[in-house]
Order: sequence, then structure tokens, then C-alpha cells
Amino acid sequence: MSIPTTDRISTCLIANITASITATFRRVLEIDDVGTDDEFFALGGDSLLATRVLSAIAREYGVELTFDEFVLAATPAALGRLVARPVAGARP
Amino acid sequence: MSTPSRVVVVGAGLAGLTAANRLADNGVEVTVLEARYRVGGRLHGIEVAPGRWVDAGAAYLGDRHTALVDLLADLGLKALPTDMEGDSRFLLGASDATRSGRFPPLNAVALGEMFELLDDLTRSVDVAAPWRTPDAPRLDHLTAAEWAESNLTHPDARLFFPLFLGEMMAADPAAVSMLHVAFYLRSGGGIRYLNAFEGGAQDRRVAGGAHQVCELLAAGLSGVHLGEAVTAIRDSGAGVTVATATATYDADAVIVALPPLLASTIDIRPRPTPRATGVTGRGCAVKLHLVYPEPLWRRHGLSGWSVNEAGPLLSTVDDSPHEGGAGVLTGFVTGAEAHRFATLSYDDQRAAAIHQAQLVFPDLPEPLAFHVTDWVNEEYSRGCYAALFGPGDWLALGPHLTRPHGRVHWAGTETSPAFFGLMEGAIRSGHRAADEVLHTTHPTGDRDE
Repeated sequence: MSIPTTDRISTCLIANITASITATFRRVLEIDDVGTDDEFFALGGDSLLATRVLSAIAREYGVELTFDEFVLAATPAALGRLVARPVAGARP
Repeated sequence: MSTPSRVVVVGAGLAGLTAANRLADNGVEVTVLEARYRVGGRLHGIEVAPGRWVDAGAAYLGDRHTALVDLLADLGLKALPTDMEGDSRFLLGASDATRSGRFPPLNAVALGEMFELLDDLTRSVDVAAPWRTPDAPRLDHLTAAEWAESNLTHPDARLFFPLFLGEMMAADPAAVSMLHVAFYLRSGGGIRYLNAFEGGAQDRRVAGGAHQVCELLAAGLSGVHLGEAVTAIRDSGAGVTVATATATYDADAVIVALPPLLASTIDIRPRPTPRATGVTGRGCAVKLHLVYPEPLWRRHGLSGWSVNEAGPLLSTVDDSPHEGGAGVLTGFVTGAEAHRFATLSYDDQRAAAIHQAQLVFPDLPEPLAFHVTDWVNEEYSRGCYAALFGPGDWLALGPHLTRPHGRVHWAGTETSPAFFGLMEGAIRSGHRAADEVLHTTHPTGDRDE
């Protein structure tokens, strides 16, 4: 009960976004075994496939990340946090 | 009834020589007729320095090219990784960028959207029978340029799409059907596999040059005739007669292992269903080799890879021999640019290529040598990497591409549903055609079936 409400919302939001991005990793990499902390390029991803993840994120959340941002945060969890920031911030 | 004992193979490219070897291994007397005074077709080597060869034609392979990997092992040839250490160069739009990796400094979301659309389309293709793809009639009559016009909204995607098609399949988007694009990408293993160097279709190249594959295949055969272009084939029902300008050859069957546009030039009777139409295009590739004492770009931390919006060098790659002794920058002039470039004189081609190489890579002197391989206007190839099916072609030509016409069988990379346009497709088509001939019984000495 010590967690402020807005933080609980964003924690929940990040978890949802992370789950969705994990599913996108699975889809574009064509592998089933993807964890939230798995690194995209270590899973066999390359720049072409990375752009497809970025496109999916833009479609679902309206957040356009750059390729360089992706490279620095190439796990579902890190991308989830990156995507949730502007989404959460946009809320009243 | 008997299985064929004598077979003529038309074309000593990779498909024809593969078929000829399989037939010979099965005790068939094989005659290979080749128009050029060399074997290899679209596999061709250039000696850029003493004992140092580069590929003027087909060059790359990956793990999924299993028939080629096996063949290399059989022939004792090695494949070596396509090194790409260092930064890439990009001259796109107003930007001049140097960055790590092969990803261009364009809007990643826009390119991703384009790749998502292409991936969806690619997955929808019935690769074994593209004309049966759901939506085939619409996709086959739509040019890739029209598809891009209505599907790609971001300027960066519109800029990159023709460059991507040029690199992947040497196609001008205005002249190729979208069904063919989707089929080609699918046939090659999908956009990611076809695009990738490491782990993809450009993972390795043949040490010493891919042309050696054909030279070694030909060396194992006794009946390879060079300088004999086939002009006519007659199927009497009891056998075939294959005519060149200087001789005729009688056989039980013939394998025409030529690109479709070239096969169409042979007068075959009875007439087969057409193998090409007025809109079947030549693969639009001109390959350039700029030869330096060593790979000078590496001194600047550059890999030699570049992508450029302006021609002639739409992309470049370092093809320096692994053994050292030369630095080779290979330039790809593809798509509509290839047609334009091909009309220039050699001096103008050389000047334009060197000028652009110097814009892309710092401190580059005049090359020691400059080689142009214009596949678009090669009489006995008529395009490279492969035939480009124009609007309506898959519906019109597809169902007959591999179907034997009496005693006339068809091979060539354009007859392979898997790895169409690649060396792997050529080999698989050669195996398929040889097996077809070996397992077909034709009536003997009688016109009636």
C-alpha cells in the first residue's frame, strides 16, 4: 500500500507493454522461447527485423523509437519501459 | 519403351552442368552444347591480380543452400565468410553518414512498416505454384512501383524500396510484378534471410571464385562443346534433333538449361508454350570491380559496404580476395540505373564509377584496374541475377515453367521454386530435370505414343 497509485498504474502498464513486445519478438524472430530480458540480437535478430519491431511498437502505442534507441534497449523489458514513459506521461 | 541413353543439354551454366553430371553418373551419354567459349553462364570469374579471382556474376551462398554446400564439398572447394568489419557508408537524400552495421540512416519505423507489409505478402505466396496464391490475379497485374505508390507513405520507405529491390533481385520496380517480388523473396528464404550476410544468403563466397564450380563440373564430362549456340530443336516423337550453326545432334531427350528469354530464341518444334512474354524482363545488374593494391577503405575503419541513392554505384561491397594481394570494391548497378549505365561508353562508365567511389570512400586513388560486367546486354544470358517476371507473367508462364514438352525438359534457376535466381536454384533445377529424364520412358522408334 506504500506504492503510489500512479506508479502502480505504470508498473501494470509496463508489464502489459513488455508482454506485447515479447510477443512481437516471437513473431518477427520466429522463435517461441523469448523472455522479457532476452536481448534481441543475441536471439538472432538483425537490423531488418529490428525495424519490424519498431514498426509494431509504433502501430500499437504510437511511439516512434529510433534504431539507435532500440540498440541500447533491445530487450522486451527495456523497450517496455521506454515505450511506457511517454504513454504514461501523456495520461492526465 | 526405354529410358534415354543419349541426352543433349543446352547451356553449360550451373543448371545444365549439374544435370549433365547427374545423367553421366547414371550411364547416360551426354552432350552439352554451350554458345559461349567458356562454361559457367552467369557464374563468371575475373582474374584481378595474378591468381586472384573475383566473381563477376553469382557470388554468395548461405547454410540453407544445401545443394550448393554439398556440391562444393564434392568438388573440394571451400567457402569463406563474407567479412564485414568496420563502418558502412550511406549517401541517401541530403545525408552523408558513416555508421556501424548495414542499417541505413533512414526512419526505422517507416522501413519497418515496409518490411512488415512485404513479409505479410511474402508469406501469402504459394511458392510451389505462385499463380495459385490467394489474390494472385491482382498481385500479378500490379507492378512493384504501383504497390509502393499505394502502400508506402513515408518518403524514406519510398526512397529505400527501389534500392532494396535492386539489391535483392536486380529489379526495376516499374517493370516487375508484385507477385514476382513476393515470390522471389519467399523463394529465397524470406526477406530477412535473403537480405542478410552473416547467417543469410550472403554468408559466404567461394574461395577462388564461384566460376570454379562450373569449370570443375565441366572437367568431369567428356562431351562439352563450346561455341555452339543451339538454334533449333526438333522432336520427332521418336527422338530429338538439336541443331547448331555447324552440327546436328540426335538424342532421346534434351534439357534446355537456359534463362527463359534465351530459351525463347530457339526454334522448337512442335512449339512449346511460350517461356517468356513481351514484359518478361532481364535481371538488371551491371557489376563493377574497382581494383586497388589493398582494401584501402579499411584504413579508415570502413567495411566497403555502402548504399547510395544516386547511381551508378547503388551499393558497394568489399570483395577483396581472402588471400590478400588486391583490394576489390564491387559496385552494383541495378534496376533502371543498370539500363541507363549500360548505354554509356566504357570511358564514361569508368569515370562515373571512380568519381562516385571517391565521394563515398576517403582518399581513394585511381584504381589499378576497372572491370565492367554488363549482364543486361550479355547476349547469352540476357540479364542477371534472373529473369524478372512482369505484369501477368506468373499467371501466363508459371504453370508451364517446368512441365516437360515431349522430349524437351527445362532447367535453369528460373525453373526452381526454391531459391529462384540463385546458384542453389540452378543446382536444384538441374537435379530435377536430370531425374525427370532418367525416370521418363519414351516410346522408341515409333511416332505414336
